[in-house]
Amino acid sequence: MLSRNRQASFWALFFPLIFTFIFGLFFGKTTTVGTIGEVNKSNTQIAKALDKALIDSKLLKIEKFDSVDEAKSEMKKNTISAVLVVPEDFGDFAPGSPTQVQTYYDQGNAQVNSVLIGFLNSFLTNASFQSQNAKMVFSVDAIKISDRELTYFDFVLAGILGLALMNSSIIGIAIAMSKYREDKILKRITTTPLPTWVFIVAEVLSRLVLNIFQVTIILLVGYFVFDAHIYGSLFVLIPLVLVGAILFQLLGFVIASFSKTADAAQGMATALTIPMMFLTGVFFPIDQLPKWLYSIVQFLPLAPLLRMIRQVMLEATSPFDNPINAIIVAAWIVGALLISIWKFRLTEE
Amino acid sequence: MSVQKTVIKVKNLVKKYGKLNAVDDVSFSVQKGEVFGLLGENGAGKTTTLEIIEGLRRATSGEVEVLGHNIREANGRVKQKIGVQLQSSAYYQFLTLKEILSLFCKFYGACTDPMELLDMVDLKDKANSYVGKLSGGQKQRFSIVASLVNDPEIVFLDEPTTGLDPLARRNLWGLISKIKAQGKTIILTTHYMEEAELLCDRVAIMEKGKILALNETHKLIENAKIPYTISFSINKVDKKIFEKVLKFGEIENVFGRVKQFELRIKNAKDLASALDEVRKLKPESFTVGRATLEEIFIELTGKTIGED
Repeated sequence: MLSRNRQASFWALFFPLIFTFIFGLFFGKTTTVGTIGEVNKSNTQIAKALDKALIDSKLLKIEKFDSVDEAKSEMKKNTISAVLVVPEDFGDFAPGSPTQVQTYYDQGNAQVNSVLIGFLNSFLTNASFQSQNAKMVFSVDAIKISDRELTYFDFVLAGILGLALMNSSIIGIAIAMSKYREDKILKRITTTPLPTWVFIVAEVLSRLVLNIFQVTIILLVGYFVFDAHIYGSLFVLIPLVLVGAILFQLLGFVIASFSKTADAAQGMATALTIPMMFLTGVFFPIDQLPKWLYSIVQFLPLAPLLRMIRQVMLEATSPFDNPINAIIVAAWIVGALLISIWKFRLTEE
Repeated sequence: MSVQKTVIKVKNLVKKYGKLNAVDDVSFSVQKGEVFGLLGENGAGKTTTLEIIEGLRRATSGEVEVLGHNIREANGRVKQKIGVQLQSSAYYQFLTLKEILSLFCKFYGACTDPMELLDMVDLKDKANSYVGKLSGGQKQRFSIVASLVNDPEIVFLDEPTTGLDPLARRNLWGLISKIKAQGKTIILTTHYMEEAELLCDRVAIMEKGKILALNETHKLIENAKIPYTISFSINKVDKKIFEKVLKFGEIENVFGRVKQFELRIKNAKDLASALDEVRKLKPESFTVGRATLEEIFIELTGKTIGED
């Protein structure tokens, strides 16, 4: 029935897939921050080494230009975000040779410039020391806690899974139940001997089948199209995802308990899902939020669920490693279930 | 004559919404195989009464027994044996007629073949259509046939013809008669008097939650203040006979026309004798009219019925 309902299918499938594609195109496969133009007029060893290091770092995509003006005009067209100019004879130790490289950047894209400057500073400091036969005394030793390669897209893909579950379940159930009740479809069902709980369980189960389908497609697209990394077991991830779906479906029932019309249900569901979409870590880690806000949003249902999904998907650890997440999710499930049992009715009376 | 079996007993039924008595001490019973009509305008308490019997609403007080079961105690068992067409209800938007009937079959655990049911209401060729694609009359026919999936003993039809055009209404009357012919008991609510008169064996007229009159349809008519009227036209007035005719009721010179009269008979039993006397006047023509339920409704409530 749901496959015939194009609108519902859109929300369930295409909406999260659009996010997957958008983030995949930006951040999948490549981990570069952006593209810069380079005008390198020097043939010295240092200039060549700089070129090689820049390419090897894979931090930025590099396009070569013959003149500064040409590169600048490309920057105005927004095809590149910054320009690196290595002047003629840079790196030649002859007196009077230039010792500085220039960067031009667009203030609207400071991120690329800061990555570029960070790289140049580090490279040139090293080069300066080496040219004077001196050794660096202090340095940074950055240690990864895992050897696994992880990208921003991997982080977002897990977020999109949670987002897809939340949208299709909360909005789907809240609107469908309110509409069925408004149209008296549910009342018609109460004229039959079918127990109410059987109807509700059947609704939930049929939507869980949809959720499995939905999550599988998102993961397949992420993995095969955008080279996402999935380290954990799907046998743990899928049940976890279904627990999340049940939680959001129950929240849908809570909304349907209080909304008299489908329109009201839509409003209430949107008011609940939109803040969660942006505040609970779908697109960026929530520890970047102001402390007071973080202390609140970490308890919203999507936040602990996403932490668990990422634990399983990206770290291949147990979702119960940090039991507080499971406790918050369980508390929401129990709370929403109790409210639904108390308040949800198939008919208006 | 077969012994009549009571399938529904309603005793002192009361349903209160705050201070409003939507159903106010209503009692009646329905016999197996009859078409029982609940008549009244909107808000008279017909639907509430029906929905309490169907087990959809709880009564404030009073007793309801359906097929020997107390509705409060055996709600599920009763629902297994009754079929309900609600006043206004939709069906799943993305299921075909055939699929909806099959789904409802599963709710009962037993079922009549969906195609057979659709055939009964001439919707076989629409088996794979959505309800949204049906006309008003077709929707209503489907809604009624959907109440028959479990081969119910009692069928509840709540205003089945409201909002339909005259042709579609007549079509539904045929369907209701067909269901009655299958031996099923039918309870229907309506605010169309002619419909009740045509379809119902017995009717209860309700107003403000109370039953004002309850009887077999023809008896209600015979007990009316003026059960029959004889309209006749004569060339010559024979005073002697005319005086005899006057014994049976009032006579009125219709529209001031000299030779056109209307005799309003007060007692139904006098119809035959009155007709004999009128014949003696050698009328050029005469017709006999019967009181309608509409007139009885006006008589009882002092107002005409409307759809609001």
